[in-house]
Amino acid sequence: MRSKTTLTLATAAAILAAAGAAQAGTLENLERERALTIQTLLSPSLTVSERQQKIAASKHRLVDLERMVLRDKSLVGANRPVVRKAFRSYDLTFLVHASVEKDRILIDHWLEQVGVSTHNLMNARVGRR
Amino acid sequence: MQPISRTNRVNRLAMLARVAFGVCVLSAVFLASTAGANTAVWEPSASEKLVKLPATYLKKAVDRDFAKSELATALTDVKSQIGLKTQTLQDLQSAIDRAEGEVRTELRHQFLAEKQEFIKLMGEQQELQRKQVETKIRLYERLLDKLGRSKAATSPQRAELIKQQNEARQRFEATVTAVDMKLFDSTELTESKYSRDYAKNMSAIESLVLAIQEHPMNQEAELDGQEVTKEDYLRHLIADNQARVAILDQEETILGYMAKLVALDAMALSEEVAGDNLAADGLAGEDGEISLSSTVDFFITQ
Repeated sequence: MRSKTTLTLATAAAILAAAGAAQAGTLENLERERALTIQTLLSPSLTVSERQQKIAASKHRLVDLERMVLRDKSLVGANRPVVRKAFRSYDLTFLVHASVEKDRILIDHWLEQVGVSTHNLMNARVGRR
Repeated sequence: MQPISRTNRVNRLAMLARVAFGVCVLSAVFLASTAGANTAVWEPSASEKLVKLPATYLKKAVDRDFAKSELATALTDVKSQIGLKTQTLQDLQSAIDRAEGEVRTELRHQFLAEKQEFIKLMGEQQELQRKQVETKIRLYERLLDKLGRSKAATSPQRAELIKQQNEARQRFEATVTAVDMKLFDSTELTESKYSRDYAKNMSAIESLVLAIQEHPMNQEAELDGQEVTKEDYLRHLIADNQARVAILDQEETILGYMAKLVALDAMALSEEVAGDNLAADGLAGEDGEISLSSTVDFFITQ
């Protein structure tokens, strides 16, 4: 019984050590923050002021993270799917920078990039497929 | 007519035998000179470090590596021997002009022997120089290959990614000031610690980058006043060394003719000593220099 507990503890320690060794890069950090921001933008459970507050904090972090990714030399020519996808769509990856550049609010810019615009919504009709 | 004394006859026969032996030996002078293979080597490696060196520094690094090699030591040694031998030939040539009779014949024989030695040394020098030049060509070709391989290693997919990354960076740089104005002018956002520190470090980096760009060791190589790429510079170095090989080939021909002339001189001297007055006489040498073409006078005069 005692040896079983020791073994479990050793395994847990090894897993924790491995998790500690795996360090996320700038792009992974940006993607995580961006996902949380979009989640906040779309979350129906938040009030307007709560959303505004959270978005402001996220935006602050995203501004820095986007610049870190663009200046990260380790990503130059790093031919990985995540890097390829990130640089294929500048407007989606560097969300804050692109939205400010185009003078649009964050949610409008994101919706436009994923193909949902006010014009599209206004023209949409409810119908049977 | 005075009868030849027994001692004189013995001396003359001894001289004749020595000259005849000389003819046999001298006929193989050229072959002997090239067959005396020198074991000194120079084995430079086309390391990654060498590939990454600035073009202007690359040649110096190769030359410095050669200077430390056994081959360079052997070459310097042979060159100094040639210098001494040239001096000896000059001294003998002027001594022959002043001498008469048997002393003159003896000096001419010695002159032939010294010329044989000189040809042997020149042959050794050529062999070493050829080794040096051919090794340099091989090294530059390997460096050129490596340079080509490292550039060709970019796959189309990776090239596309690099292009997109460059475009992203350009777009960012082009709009960052305007974006910053809009972002940080509002009360909503303030400049982060990262932005402040980055801007501070950036000015330091820019001044360092400028210093690196202007550093003489970082200058692009120039050919005829035009800046050239590293590949072009390597190709130029290869062509230069190939030209040197062609000149060495030509010098080998000169050396072959010199050896033939020495053999003919030896035959003429042998005939002369034997009583046949066929050989032409009179040496009118000029000051010889260490370069092969400038020593031709030792061989075309008798």
